[in-house]
Amino acid sequence: MRRDSIQRRLIVTVALSQAILTAGLVITGVVVTYSRLLSTLDTGMQAHAMSVAALVRYTEEGTGNVYFDNSLLPESIDPNHPDQFMVWADRTGLLTHSEDWPDGLQFQPGPSQHWNFSWAGVPYHALRMQHVPILDREEGKLFRPQTLTIVYASPTVRIRQQVKLAGALIALASLLLLGATTWLASWRIRRGLWPLQALARQAALISTQSWRLQVPKETEEIQELRPLTESMTQMLARLERAFAEQREFLANAAHELKTPVAVLKSTLQSLLQRSRSSEEYRAGLQASLQDMDRLEQLLQRMLQLARAEQWADTSRRDLGMVDINSSCEAAVERIRGLAEARGTEIHLATDGPIPIRADGEDLQLVWTNLLENAVRYSPEGGSVEVAVSHDDRRTWVSFQDHGAGISAADLPHVFERFYRGDPSRTRTTGGFGLGLAIAKALVEAYGGSITATSAPGEGTRMTVELPGPGQ
Amino acid sequence: MRVLMVEDEPRLAENVARSLRESAGYAVDIAADGQEGLFLVESNAYDVVLLDLMLPKLDGMELLRRIRKSGQHTPVLVLTARDDKESVVALLNAGADDYLTKPFDLGELLARAKALIRRGKGQPSPVLTIGDLELNTVNRTVQRGGRAITLTAMEYRVLEYLAHRPRAVVSKTELLEHLYDYNWEKFSNVIEVYISGLRRKLEEGSSRQLIRTLRGQGYMLQD
Repeated sequence: MRRDSIQRRLIVTVALSQAILTAGLVITGVVVTYSRLLSTLDTGMQAHAMSVAALVRYTEEGTGNVYFDNSLLPESIDPNHPDQFMVWADRTGLLTHSEDWPDGLQFQPGPSQHWNFSWAGVPYHALRMQHVPILDREEGKLFRPQTLTIVYASPTVRIRQQVKLAGALIALASLLLLGATTWLASWRIRRGLWPLQALARQAALISTQSWRLQVPKETEEIQELRPLTESMTQMLARLERAFAEQREFLANAAHELKTPVAVLKSTLQSLLQRSRSSEEYRAGLQASLQDMDRLEQLLQRMLQLARAEQWADTSRRDLGMVDINSSCEAAVERIRGLAEARGTEIHLATDGPIPIRADGEDLQLVWTNLLENAVRYSPEGGSVEVAVSHDDRRTWVSFQDHGAGISAADLPHVFERFYRGDPSRTRTTGGFGLGLAIAKALVEAYGGSITATSAPGEGTRMTVELPGPGQ
Repeated sequence: MRVLMVEDEPRLAENVARSLRESAGYAVDIAADGQEGLFLVESNAYDVVLLDLMLPKLDGMELLRRIRKSGQHTPVLVLTARDDKESVVALLNAGADDYLTKPFDLGELLARAKALIRRGKGQPSPVLTIGDLELNTVNRTVQRGGRAITLTAMEYRVLEYLAHRPRAVVSKTELLEHLYDYNWEKFSNVIEVYISGLRRKLEEGSSRQLIRTLRGQGYMLQD
C-alpha cells in the first residue's frame, strides 16, 4: 500500500505554489526591466540620431546636394561598445556610415522602426528614422531640399547584463522566500498535527480494561477534530457496552453450565464417600438423572440461541410459506400439558389464514417460548390470551398474562440473555432466562420486532410484529 | 468446626453440607441467597465460609466486601464458575482467602476448607501438637505419648476445636457455636458430657491434667 502523508502533501503544495510564484515573478521582473531599459535606450538613440542628422550640411553651390561633417560625431551611448549609424539622403542615396560599420551589413529602407540584430557576436538594437529634415538652411533657385533616413544601432550588451542581474536578484530573493515559507509551513503543519498525535497517544492507551478516551486539551480545541473525537467516543461507548454484554453473557453461561455439573459431580462424589443403603444410591442416581435432564435442556436452549443469533446475520433462502394461525394453534397444543398442570386456560383469537415466509420450527419456538413464559408467570387458575391480527403489510401476535407483571426497572432487560428479574424466583419456575432472548433473536432474524409492556400487579403483554402476510 | 455455605442451588449446597458433616464432622449452615448469608455471618461465629458468587438478592462479591468491611476475619473460600485471571484477581482483592472453580472435587473442597480453618487460627500444620498430645486433622486420629486414643465423633470435634486454640480459654457458648449449626442452644448441656468423656480417655494413666475447667469462664487445653 502506498503510504501518503498529509504533512508531505501540504508542504509540497506550499512549495510548488511558491515555486510557480517565483518563476512568474522572475519572468515578469526580467520582461519589465528589459522593456524599461530598452525604451530608455531608444530615447537615447533617438537623441543621438538627431545629433548625427545635425551634422548633415548642404553644399555651397545650392543644388541641394549634401555632405556629412564628421568632425563633431556624438559619443557612443555605451562607452565600451561603439554605436553604429548609417545615413541616406533621400535623393542622392547613401551619404555616410559609422567608421566601423560592418562590411556587407545592409539595411534597405523599409517599414520597421525598431529591431534587433546581432553582428559578430554583439547584440544590437536598431532604430530607423525617416524623413528627417536637414537642419542646415540654404536658399537658391536650383535649391531642392532633401530629407534623411537614419539607421542608428546601439549594442544591448549592457542592458542584457543589467537584466540578467535584476533577474538573478529577484530569483535569489524569491528562493530565499520560498525556503523560508516552506520551512515555516512545514513547522506550522507539524505543529498543527500535534493534536492528532496527542489523540493517537491517548487512543493507544485504550484497552479492554479501560475504555475511556481522555481527549487531550489541545485536541479538544481544534474544531476540525471534533467530529473525529466525538465519533471515537461514541464508538468506544458502543464497544464497551458490547464487550460488557459479552463478558456478562460468558459469566452467566459459565455459571449456568457449571453449576449443574457441580451438582452432579458432588452428588456422585458424596454417594461414593462411604457405603450407603440401596435406597440412598437410588435417590442419588434419581437426583443425578434430573440434573442431567436440566443440563441437557440448558444446552439445547443455548444451541437454539446461538443458532437464532447466527441467523440474524444471514439471509435465508430455504423458507416456505407458513400460516401464522395454524402455527399458533400448534404451539398452544404443545403448551397445553403445562397449562393444564397449572390450571391455566389459554384463549386463542385468530384472524383467518396469514401466510408468511418462515421456517415452521422457528415460529413454533417463538410462540412456545412466549406462551411458556406467560403460563409460568400466571397465577394458578389464571388465563392467557393469545391474539393474532394483521393488516396489508404486517402481522401482530400478542400474548397477555395476568401475573405479577414486570417492574419498570426489569422491563428493558427481559430480552437479555440469562436475565432474570429475581433469580430465586426462577429456580422454582424452572427457566434459564433464555426463552425471551431466543424469541427475540428469531423474530429479528425474520425482520420483525418484539416488545413487552407490563403493569405490575395486572400482567404482562408480549407483542410480536412480523412482516407479511405473503412476505 | 462450623461452616457456612452460601449457595442458591439447593442440591449442591445439600451435597457439600452432607460431605462436610460426614467426613469432617463439621456443623454446616446453608444460606440460599446473599442477604441470608450476610445475616448468618453477622450473627454467628463461623470457622470458614463457602461462598458462591452468583447469588440472588445480594451478589457474592458484594457479600464478600461487606463481610470484610465489617472487620470479620473469617476465612472465605469462593466457589466460582469463572477461572480467568481477571476475576480471580478481583476475588482475592475483594478479600477472598481461596477459590475453587465449579465443578469442584468434594475432597479438594474439604482439604482447602480445613487448611483455611487451620491458618485462620494460626496453625500452619495439619498435625496439632500440645505437649505430648498429637491430633491429626487429616485422618482425624488422636495420640497421647504415642498411645492411640479412640474418641467418638463429638468428642473429637470438641478436642479439635480446643486444640486449634491451645492455652486459650474457650467458653461453653463458643464451643457450642462452633460445633453445632444454628440449633446449638438445644445442646447447651451436652458439652460437659463430652468434656468429661475426653478427660477420662486422655488423662487415663496420667497424673497431669490436660483440659482445665475455669469455673464460669470455660475450658482450656494446656500442656
